[in-house]
Amino acid sequence: MMRLPPIKGEWIDRNTPVDFQFEHTAYTGLRGDSITSALAANGLHIFGRSFKYHRTRGFLSAANHDVNAMMQVSANGRSTPNVRGDVTRVASGWQISAVNTRGGLHKDRFAILNRLSRFLPVGFYYKAFHSKRLFPWWETMFRTLTGLGAVDLKSAHRTTPKRYDFCDVLVIGGGPSGVSAALAAAEQGAHVLLVDENPALGGSGLYAQAGDPSIAAATEAVCARVLSHPRIRVLLSSTAAGYYADHWIPVVTPEAIVKVRARAVIIAQGAYEQPAVFRGNDLPGVLLASAAQRLMYRYSVAPAQRVAILTANAEGYAAALDAVSRGLDVIAVLDLRSARGTDSQALADELTRRGVRLVVQVEPVEAIVGRTGGVAHLRYRVGSTDTTLDVDGVWMSVGFAPANALLHQAGATMRYDVALEQFLPDRLPVGIYACGKVTGHYSLAARMSDGERVGISAATRLDQTEPAPSPSALLAIRECPNHPYPIFAHPEGKEFVDFDEDLQIRDVINACQEGFDSTELLKRYSTMGMGPSQGKHSNLNALRILAKVRGDSLTEHALTTARPMYHPVPMAHLAGRGFMPERQTPLDADHAALGAVWMPAANWRRPEYYAIPGVSREAAIAAEVHAVRHGVGLIDVGTLGKIEAHGPQAGEFLDRVYTARYSNLKVGMTRYGLMLDESGVIIDDGVIARLTAESFYFTTTTGNSATLFREFGRLATWWGLPVGLVNLTGQYAAFNLAGPRSREVLAPLTEMDLSDAAFPYLAVREGHIAGIPCRLMRVGFVGELGYEIHLPFDAGLDLWRMLLESGKAQGIRPFGVEAQRMLRLEKGHVIIGQDTDGVTNALEIDAPWAIKMDKPFFIGQRSLAILAKQPLKQTLVGFKLPASATDRPRECHLIIDGDRIAGRVTSVGVSPTLGHVIGLALVDPTVANRGHFQVRIDHGELIEATVTPFPFFDAAGARQKIGATP
Amino acid sequence: MTESLKTHARRSPIDAWITAHATATTVREGMLQADILAPTAATDPTVTLSEYSWRRRLGLKGPAAEQWLAAQGYTVPALGNHWAVTAGVLVARLATSEFLVEALTPDAQARVRASAQTLYGVTRISDVYPVARHDLVLNLHGSALETLLRQICSVDFAPLLASASDAQGPLSMTSMIGVGVVAIATRTTDLPVLTLWADPSFGLYFWTTVLEVATELGGGVRVHGLN
Repeated sequence: MMRLPPIKGEWIDRNTPVDFQFEHTAYTGLRGDSITSALAANGLHIFGRSFKYHRTRGFLSAANHDVNAMMQVSANGRSTPNVRGDVTRVASGWQISAVNTRGGLHKDRFAILNRLSRFLPVGFYYKAFHSKRLFPWWETMFRTLTGLGAVDLKSAHRTTPKRYDFCDVLVIGGGPSGVSAALAAAEQGAHVLLVDENPALGGSGLYAQAGDPSIAAATEAVCARVLSHPRIRVLLSSTAAGYYADHWIPVVTPEAIVKVRARAVIIAQGAYEQPAVFRGNDLPGVLLASAAQRLMYRYSVAPAQRVAILTANAEGYAAALDAVSRGLDVIAVLDLRSARGTDSQALADELTRRGVRLVVQVEPVEAIVGRTGGVAHLRYRVGSTDTTLDVDGVWMSVGFAPANALLHQAGATMRYDVALEQFLPDRLPVGIYACGKVTGHYSLAARMSDGERVGISAATRLDQTEPAPSPSALLAIRECPNHPYPIFAHPEGKEFVDFDEDLQIRDVINACQEGFDSTELLKRYSTMGMGPSQGKHSNLNALRILAKVRGDSLTEHALTTARPMYHPVPMAHLAGRGFMPERQTPLDADHAALGAVWMPAANWRRPEYYAIPGVSREAAIAAEVHAVRHGVGLIDVGTLGKIEAHGPQAGEFLDRVYTARYSNLKVGMTRYGLMLDESGVIIDDGVIARLTAESFYFTTTTGNSATLFREFGRLATWWGLPVGLVNLTGQYAAFNLAGPRSREVLAPLTEMDLSDAAFPYLAVREGHIAGIPCRLMRVGFVGELGYEIHLPFDAGLDLWRMLLESGKAQGIRPFGVEAQRMLRLEKGHVIIGQDTDGVTNALEIDAPWAIKMDKPFFIGQRSLAILAKQPLKQTLVGFKLPASATDRPRECHLIIDGDRIAGRVTSVGVSPTLGHVIGLALVDPTVANRGHFQVRIDHGELIEATVTPFPFFDAAGARQKIGATP
Repeated sequence: MTESLKTHARRSPIDAWITAHATATTVREGMLQADILAPTAATDPTVTLSEYSWRRRLGLKGPAAEQWLAAQGYTVPALGNHWAVTAGVLVARLATSEFLVEALTPDAQARVRASAQTLYGVTRISDVYPVARHDLVLNLHGSALETLLRQICSVDFAPLLASASDAQGPLSMTSMIGVGVVAIATRTTDLPVLTLWADPSFGLYFWTTVLEVATELGGGVRVHGLN
């Protein structure tokens, strides 16, 4: 076991063991252990396999910033892929395995790929897929070889809630600068939400101690004040994964994504420690010094027993002191620099007193694997002398990359500070603040001071519209924490720049030499930074290599912006609870009881038809059509848009909106309305009824009701017409009682005079049916005597039932959308959006009776006037097939003229009334004029259709005007 | 006219839900309401839904709408997006010249019903445009109210809830789970009550979805509200 003696602040409960399996072997950890720490405590150092070459990998950051410790976890009947071992607390009963292996972690058959790396050059994917012929072969191979965890499709569905949260100041990062900022902002009266990716606050203030407990004590004191502050809420184990406009931040918690809206955002996410790039730098046991510190202090686990520390800053010496303090044997501290800085020297003196060997001007040559698969030796060079150390751990502390992805996304501009060898925020957007390591402050005192200053600034500038001043000028840099080029090529390669994608130094150089020598091109060609860790440990070093190849400096380059979510998010979190608003008419339950087969209609659902047991769909629809043609039917049309327009200029308003004239419409009458856009394209239609001299009631299509109501309001305002618009779409029910016997059904329920003289075709009347106030319109969409009845929503169900009851003697039956479509097709009535499309203008449907070009103005009028001078590109025609035709076209089938497409079928069906196929088609007029055309149906067959005038049935409209004998 | 067919009930926007879940029903202001639910809600729910669609209400807009309300004796809030309750009647000013009126108490039902009959009658009132209001109306109440709201709406309701009053206050018009709602906060106990009005065609979706989230939070339906 590698467990160290207890220490104050450790996250584990030594009294509660946790039994789990890794790669089918049983292990015991402690409650509070991460998967990584539990495995390390058991002496394991191989955690997984790399993505491309299947090289063995141990943990690197112990902070969920890399991909080495991704696991497949099976527990409670659920198998979860890509669990982040660094930050996921292990639990009893878990069965854990490494991802991306074939045959297990230690017998991975694909490990052979490590020996084939010379055949997998940079840009391999692009080069492979260049050949169309081999594309399928490569695709199959890549899909077999690659991939990380496995999705268990049998796992129970998991619903994650959708959550929102709000605060004055959102602080992202709970390290020393973040907690200081949160506390300072709250002290100013702001309501603060503090988010940190770890299960406890404190960050590096608790684990980077340089052997001095007072550093942790100072951090703990601030954390305690934060946790007890009444205006600070803390979200732990949570990641701010992106930045969206107006300070929307998706915070990924263990349970869900919380969308946080903040008035100000403080980014205090610190910096990612960067690896040195040298041969064997990915071997298990070679890790970041901060990772070792995390394990030693948070979990009391020794990552190694004999350690060499490769460093270029004071942080490396501090890590050495931490190791010595925790009882580890530090073989040597190997400094890449020629001389130590001030802070390093003070720590080096203490290490010397403790007997640790210190070396400067070191060039790492290679880490060498041992029999157990982990690092066993480190070879380094000073001058021309090579030295090999026997070790079981190599810790790297050569510099940092600021965690500035959110700053990039928020629109901050960055500059490269040469003295600090780090990108720093230069100009910050309004309401965005940054502090701590991300702004170049590395000492504990500087970070706390910077956090406090920024916290006060954010809280006191909440409503200001000017951006905050640039981040504070750096204090005099006592010692640069970042090595300018910690990259050491080896003739035999295997010096890894990007651990996600197994990219080596030569890959970056080759990409540059192939012409991909800018940051963006390099990223895309090499896939640098495109793995799960999104370049947290690779982008900066790749940029350094790029600058060196180009012979320029980092001041001339910029890092790519990691887009939201810059940190991987579980798919279940992204999905969240689905809210799918669905509207229902008051008849919905009764439709279901009547056997409705549903179809979507915008955000409503409507009965397509009513199923009859033992009867086919077509027969059921035909029966509904028959009922309407020969008896009476009832259809729910409550989904139509229903709008009122009031005021003395309501008529003028409608004259402008629709193509016909309404200012001269008689009170008590209705008129068809066709609505165009400015280009003359048909966008909607409906029926406009004049209720009084100053009040109109009109319908729109189902799908356009909400959009058009908003548009009507905009138009009324734009035109300066004082029209009162009322949207009754959801507040009114509506159904159409249609058929030659409809009057017989309605009459017993009302005292209204339904005679043709009192209530003629196209009239509108207000009255009561069964005591319910209703509006009735005698319209003929289905071509029969009919009454479209509009009434209050809360009375809709009762009247529907009453009409069905009243119509029993007449054989009434409800009919659905499909029957209605056939009925109107027989009448040749157009459905906007089906018989027209996004480019069909009003001239093309041949409806001059609906267009009054002599009006002063209507939307689309000017365009129609222009189009009228040009030949039509298409025209809507009717067609039919002989009754003997066995094949029939379907909607959207193409009309073929020789070798070209000459149009398409828009509506088609077998007319139960006429006994043969009828349809409408948008066709090239020259083809239509021939009187026949060919339609390509399924399987490519061409069938002949005959152009025929429409309406196909009752062309004079006698049935709808006066009714007809059944 | 056949006499047996002349009567009808007002139907709640969640009539189908009530029919499916109520073991006993009652009629309030002509509208069927659940009296006892099966299964019963949590004994000590963290957040409750209560339906008040049965209350009498009316809506109106137009240049003379405010004048008409005043003539009817209603107290009209001076500011837009505000509400006031007088003599058991809530008057909400949704815009400069658009209003929602609802009877909150049993005594006030008859008065608002009479006003509605006048407003929605065949005889038009000059410059007053009736707005039908057959809304789903529900109250949300309980210790987990804010938690619930943060799962169903992207708007911060904390300021509105902090303004909760039994006499007057601001109102909010926003979208909740994809449905436009009018929201006000009142206070009759130690905790605020959020009242929502939603389009009835969204009623069943809105009710069942909010109830689903509330149930996950340990809440449920309180059939008789806080009364």
